[in-house]
Amino acid sequence: MVLGAEQMDALREIGNIGAGNAATALSQLMGQPVQMGIPTVKFLPVEEIAAEFGDQDTIVAAMFLGVTGDAPGHMLFVMSEESAHNVVDTLLGATGSYTPGEFGEMELSALQEVGNIMTGSYLGALAQITGLRLEPTPPAVGVDLAGALVGAALVEIAMVSDTALLLESTFADDNTPSAGDFLYVPTNEGLALVLDRLGLGE
Amino acid sequence: MSTATVGTSPGPSVGIGQIAVSGAAEIVISALGLGSCIGVVLFDPQARVAGMAHVMLPQSNPNSSGPPGKFADSAVPALLHDMLKAGAEKARLVAKIAGGAQMFGAGSGGLLNIGERNDQAVRAALSAVGLRVRAADTGGSAGRTVQVTVGTGVVTVRVVGGEPVEL
Repeated sequence: MVLGAEQMDALREIGNIGAGNAATALSQLMGQPVQMGIPTVKFLPVEEIAAEFGDQDTIVAAMFLGVTGDAPGHMLFVMSEESAHNVVDTLLGATGSYTPGEFGEMELSALQEVGNIMTGSYLGALAQITGLRLEPTPPAVGVDLAGALVGAALVEIAMVSDTALLLESTFADDNTPSAGDFLYVPTNEGLALVLDRLGLGE
Repeated sequence: MSTATVGTSPGPSVGIGQIAVSGAAEIVISALGLGSCIGVVLFDPQARVAGMAHVMLPQSNPNSSGPPGKFADSAVPALLHDMLKAGAEKARLVAKIAGGAQMFGAGSGGLLNIGERNDQAVRAALSAVGLRVRAADTGGSAGRTVQVTVGTGVVTVRVVGGEPVEL
């Protein structure tokens, strides 16, 4: 699929609105401002996507889920270890049953909830603009090497297509300039439908 | 990526779907953060040539595209070819593999256990070209960083929070 400049602009705008909603949700969750970078739109062979996430050997928290409904696809939210700790501290700090610095079952389920809220807000905005029905599946979550988690998520995407469109948005908070990286990857059919609804179909 | 004899250590980091082969003793070839992917290492102790493939999926199909290193069934023959070209001899080759984890344990009911399928496919592909796996560290739920030092053929595997362990 080859996209024109107008289509790329529209997708970037969708990414902007979706990620803006997700940033607001994260900021409410964290009780502190969350800034959002300018979204990027790229078409890449699936095996080259991992490189978008920087050093493969650093520890990150990743939340990965499928999008079902009219325009299916995948979403991946990758947080730096530090931001993941901050989020978990904020969400669980007062519960008493939480060990700082560790990612046990409680911590992972807190991150899963973060993934739920962020992707729900992103997809909600996208659904509102396009009138399409878009539902997130419950996120799978892991804390491990970036390459390992992103690679495993990419396999799911590679099952559907050899190349994928990425709508990428970055987040920053007061403590961490690169707190998170949010990726929406629609299937080619899903993408065509989204563009169609925007009046930019083939 | 296919580097015959180049450079200084630490040497190439082999990304998803890539293959690297070297005959330069000081080079360390790495695959950083293998999850469900598999790092396939071949080494010829006499020629001192080592190579690695970073395999993502078990099988190619007529419609699939991507570098040969992406799929187990095309990566193994391509790695073997590059090894032989760099001066290795097949009869002397030692094969070691690592990776194939299931990364998203909790809540990933929809995720296929691709790590295990990659493991089986890599072993089948090695067996198909007449190579046996000498050592393996596969499965589980942790990501791995795998390195091979060309001069010695020593393969190490490291998980988060751990020290490198020789395979």
